[in-house]
Amino acid sequence: MSRRFRPGWAVAVALALFAASAPAQPDDLAKAIATLKGVTKEGAANDAAGPAWKAVVDAGAPALLPTLRAVDDANPTAANWLLTAAGAIAERHRKDKGTFSPELDSIPLDAKYAPSARRFAYELAVLQTPSLANTLLPKLLDSPEPNLRREAIAHGVKLAGLVASGSGEAEKAAYRRLFALTREKEQAEELAKALAAFGEKANVTEHFAFITHVRLVGPFHSEKGKALTLAYPPETTPAAAEYDGKEGKVTWQAQATADKYGKFDLNETVGRLKNACVYARATVHADKATPAEIRVGSPNAVAIYLNGKKLFGREEYHHGDQMDYHVGKGVLTAGENTIVVKVCQNNQTDSWAQRWQFQARVCDATGGPLPGLTQVVDGRKLPLGAITQPEGEK
Amino acid sequence: MSTNQPKPGDGRPRAFPSFLALLVSTFALPLSAADWPQFKGPNASGISDETALPTEWSKDKGVKWQAKLPARGVSSPVVAAGKAYVTCSSGKRDDRLHVLCFDAATGKELWHRQLTATGPTACHPMTCMAAPTPVADATGVYALFATGDLVAFDPDGNLRWYRSLVGDYPDITNQVGMAASPVLAKDKLIVPMDNDGDSFLAAVDVKYGKNVWKVPRPRSINWVTPLVRDTAGKTEVLFAGPNGLTAYDADNGSKRWLYKEGGGAIPTASLVGDMLYVPGGGVSAVKLGPDGPAGGPLMKAKEVSTGHGSPLVYQGRVYAADGNNFISAADAKSGKTLFKERKKAPFSASPVGGDGKVYCVNEKGVTTVLKAGTDEFDVLADNDLGEEVLGTPAISGGCLFIRTDKTLFCVGR
Repeated sequence: MSRRFRPGWAVAVALALFAASAPAQPDDLAKAIATLKGVTKEGAANDAAGPAWKAVVDAGAPALLPTLRAVDDANPTAANWLLTAAGAIAERHRKDKGTFSPELDSIPLDAKYAPSARRFAYELAVLQTPSLANTLLPKLLDSPEPNLRREAIAHGVKLAGLVASGSGEAEKAAYRRLFALTREKEQAEELAKALAAFGEKANVTEHFAFITHVRLVGPFHSEKGKALTLAYPPETTPAAAEYDGKEGKVTWQAQATADKYGKFDLNETVGRLKNACVYARATVHADKATPAEIRVGSPNAVAIYLNGKKLFGREEYHHGDQMDYHVGKGVLTAGENTIVVKVCQNNQTDSWAQRWQFQARVCDATGGPLPGLTQVVDGRKLPLGAITQPEGEK
Repeated sequence: MSTNQPKPGDGRPRAFPSFLALLVSTFALPLSAADWPQFKGPNASGISDETALPTEWSKDKGVKWQAKLPARGVSSPVVAAGKAYVTCSSGKRDDRLHVLCFDAATGKELWHRQLTATGPTACHPMTCMAAPTPVADATGVYALFATGDLVAFDPDGNLRWYRSLVGDYPDITNQVGMAASPVLAKDKLIVPMDNDGDSFLAAVDVKYGKNVWKVPRPRSINWVTPLVRDTAGKTEVLFAGPNGLTAYDADNGSKRWLYKEGGGAIPTASLVGDMLYVPGGGVSAVKLGPDGPAGGPLMKAKEVSTGHGSPLVYQGRVYAADGNNFISAADAKSGKTLFKERKKAPFSASPVGGDGKVYCVNEKGVTTVLKAGTDEFDVLADNDLGEEVLGTPAISGGCLFIRTDKTLFCVGR
């Protein structure tokens, strides 16, 4: 076979290499970022997004900040397109021994950027200059990004332990502040323990704003463990005085929990039943209209309603009861709001499938307590998380 | 396996055919003999044709290279076209998803991409979000996470496409954790998504990740990985679940047949020619015709206990390693028990075979190497890496790729 030089080859390869390495112009970069940001469901825009991703990455370090900026209101799918591009830019730039704009250092604190972009910027900035962590973390105690906040709180705990004062007031003040800011169960426990050592009680139940007082109605009967799919009378006629339940007439009964994490054990209060369902109703007063998340943990199927509107429903049984696993998002109206959690038990007989319980709390998007909310118990306004006995049981 | 080959008359200049041929041959290579492209290797057989595979090693001996991993994972490593791919997940909420690519020959980390989980991250503490094993070929890697995040990268780490399956189908739910792995069937990526909510099996096109078909499945958690077979001019996807093993037409997702006795939830069956070895109360074997099992089981190995791992059919024996520390084997034709021996720790990884050896890695990182094809429990070595191993090893390039909770080891020369 002849091995003589073929200029057509050289041109083709050169063109291919040029095309692969030519940096995107600003307009092209903006278009490419917009394409990534426009990604929606079921891969509908993936054919355009793939080349756009490559164009953004090929634009190199100058594209990093615009890419991070674009994450601000991107949907979670688009955010991953953008952040993987930012990651690839950073990785390649670092391999080329490049450094990043000092502007990167301020992004973790900049509310213009999405929480995930702030975390990305923080990690990259600290990777570049490790000592920045000590400067940035004290300013990130209230970060909306959960990992940054957790790391900042942990850093704060470490610093608080180093504050030595005769009276302990400085440590106590630091722990108190950190307790108020944490959104993590483990950190809240750790800080409550630290405060307890100073003789101060930190109320974990109130901190996480658990609903501790409800009125329960049920049990209602289902077949084949399908209670979640059935609309029982409390859904259709919520104002009725009594209903036909699984074992006769049932009415709303006051129940309270003294559990630190707001657990209502339905096996104890209603009975160890199968194919059953109860409704738990709480009244929450808001001083003003307030966007809120109603977060529920339960090993049973649950639905969440706010003022008669279904916010969430999930039919999964006995696979865990992680706190906050089920989230209903809504807006509390000024005044009294009715929150209903429907909790269904199926018909599994396995020993590990017997629990029937739930916990529920009302919080902001970070998982923190919302100002101006109280639970209304027998006409009294109590803090969410307050542990008392209902009026009728005193 | 080629998916991006230009078609004749597609409008490209005629002056470029050689260049295109080069591109095609460079970027759309079929699997090479050394590839271990998916969970349990070629079509989940667990078998490598390679020779000169290692017998003895430790952390300090017989390891060609080792690479530190950024986080835990229970997925298996895969190897394709000279690249080893691994997934990990990290973070307090386990919501940080990692895909890493290493040079399979040297262990050099070539790239590392991270995504943020868009689905729930609750799971049993033993597993994590990096539980499904990725699948790879010469065009790159496809990684599915337990969060329903599904992503395709090319071999250079360029994002080809990405899907948030929970974003697409918000009712997906599984607080135990997903672990079934995606597989390739011709030009489609088969995505198993059996769960307690929006349960489905889907085929997406490998080029853009868009649905080609999506069929509903029983609402139940299921860690079984689909198998793919060609029969009578058709490609079938065999997927076990609570109601049996269903064969789907890979082209359109239509059901072709159901084998009710082939159901399962954790281990994956082994397909050897037209014999299907089904785990469940031991391992049974049925012969498959074009329309499914041609008659009842031909063999039942009642004492071969699979647990979380899947059975290996190799050199005329059925092997399994279970969560009660047992390694067992039976004759693949008669089902006669050959041995059932207890080791010191439980097994989650599936046994794999090659070079006349069977490799069983326990959860403590000890690999028991058995001589294959004998009726005795012939242990050639017990090799301790001293780190947790839950994922099944890969075999490629004369080496075993074992991923621990911290490290990717390439064991061999």
